[in-house]
Amino acid sequence: MPALFLNLLKLIFIALIYLFLWQIGRSIGAHIGPSQSVRRSKKGGELVVVRSDTIAGQRFPIGAPAVLGRSEDADIYVDDAYASEFHVRIGVQDDSVVLNDLGSTNGTYVNGRRVTVPTDLQKGDAVQIGKTIIEVR
Amino acid sequence: MTRNAEAALLAAAAVVASMGVALVNFATGNGFDAQVALTFLVFAVSFGSVHMALRRWAPEGNPYLFPIAAFLAAIGFTEIYRLDPGLAAIQRWSLLLAGAATTTVLLLLRDEGVVMLRRYRYLFLAAAVALLLLPLLPESWPLHGAEVNGSRLWVRLELPMGTRSLSFQPGEIAKVLLVIFLASYLADRHLAMATTGRRIGPIGLPEPRQLGPIIIAATASFAVLVYQRDLGASLLLFALFITMVYVATGRAAYLVTGFVIVAGGGFVAYRAFDHVQRRVVAWLHPFDDFADAGYQIVQGLFAMGSGSLTGSGLGLGRPDLIPAASTDFIFASVAEEMGFAGSIAVLAGFALLVAAGFGIAIRSRDVFRKFLAFGLTIVIAVQSILILAGVLRLFPVTGITLPFMSYGGSSLLANMVLVALLVRTSHGERT
Repeated sequence: MPALFLNLLKLIFIALIYLFLWQIGRSIGAHIGPSQSVRRSKKGGELVVVRSDTIAGQRFPIGAPAVLGRSEDADIYVDDAYASEFHVRIGVQDDSVVLNDLGSTNGTYVNGRRVTVPTDLQKGDAVQIGKTIIEVR
Repeated sequence: MTRNAEAALLAAAAVVASMGVALVNFATGNGFDAQVALTFLVFAVSFGSVHMALRRWAPEGNPYLFPIAAFLAAIGFTEIYRLDPGLAAIQRWSLLLAGAATTTVLLLLRDEGVVMLRRYRYLFLAAAVALLLLPLLPESWPLHGAEVNGSRLWVRLELPMGTRSLSFQPGEIAKVLLVIFLASYLADRHLAMATTGRRIGPIGLPEPRQLGPIIIAATASFAVLVYQRDLGASLLLFALFITMVYVATGRAAYLVTGFVIVAGGGFVAYRAFDHVQRRVVAWLHPFDDFADAGYQIVQGLFAMGSGSLTGSGLGLGRPDLIPAASTDFIFASVAEEMGFAGSIAVLAGFALLVAAGFGIAIRSRDVFRKFLAFGLTIVIAVQSILILAGVLRLFPVTGITLPFMSYGGSSLLANMVLVALLVRTSHGERT
């Protein structure tokens, strides 16, 4: 076999390997990326504070978008030193429960993942604001 | 439909394997022969049966773990075939056997899933200990231990009809059973173990009696080191125990204690056992005695160095000069013939596998499955890091297999079952 031909084959083989890895990486990206986390939810439900020093156990029905935050003027008062004055907005939009982080300092986490874009919530999701955890039920 | 993606990627991995075999044939002047088709067929049957089992019994399980495993196995198989077609023929049988065993495991877990394993934890513990002790069986028995390269971690079964014998490494299976035991044990005990007894400065010490498992772990690992003279398995076991306890309790004190024990135990082992000492010396000064003690490391370094960016090409290098080129040093062989590009691809494969495994652990909601997924992943991670670091001379050579790539049936079987458990764990969890 001429050396040039073998060299070409070698490069083709390595290209094939990378093509495979690229496919896997792309598939994993699509699998765990934001497109999958946008989930449909039928309607309403309620928010339950499952972890907090002072307001644990409180329940709030989900309806028109409401603002959660440390400010007394927020629709839902979240007693947490790490929460921003107006931290996050949660409410029903177009038949699904949507969460909007309002540029909070310490961020909002849904099921442990920080969210920066409007995110659909589903029953069972855990929303973390500072040290406070609120579950969608 | 993610399972279709899995099927496509598995088929692609089979193509990679058969392409590799074809390339080796071109380089050696054989051209296309039956080996190419046979390789494709074996990969298709082995991973195909696993795939069908997943479709049926874990349709929502993570669809990327097995393609990555198949990809690593394909690269490894190509290199084994290049080094010794005879070994490759045996490895083909191993692939089929591992596929069948994995399918069987998925069948057994079809109704309840991995949660079923939680109930039988002491059975698994007993089985793991028994498997670890098997290599110590005396030579005169039909089923006996055997010493290979100074480490006693093999079991050989002499078949009655003549000179043939079956060998396997029970430690490979034992590690999977130990993960199941630990996950189950910690799922019950992790809260108690997380309690703080006394505090010294910022570090809260765990209750003394909660240290029991750690001491047992250290003793068991040390016993493996002493009686089987197996540095790799010993470190792997200990790392598994410590990281699982750390993750289960969230207490850094366990990690610190473990590190102190490893450092202290390592120093004692270095002083007391010459097989440990030899490896450390060969690691630190391989060129001082390159004809003997440092030979393997030096040959590995030369092989990787001569591989350059894209390698010599399959079948065109001399990886056969490296001792244990198809087992422990398979990475050096790959680096020589597929170059930097090929080795990075292999590392990327392991990274993706481990990342996907940790992802499953993070997303699992119940603690048993969380710990199980974590433990299974850490086994792959620690094992591949240990041997890769050994080959790259970042760490003494520990003589354990590179998962999915090294020649060896026990390793392949255990790791395929391990990945099947991971996939089954992810089934039923939201992704």
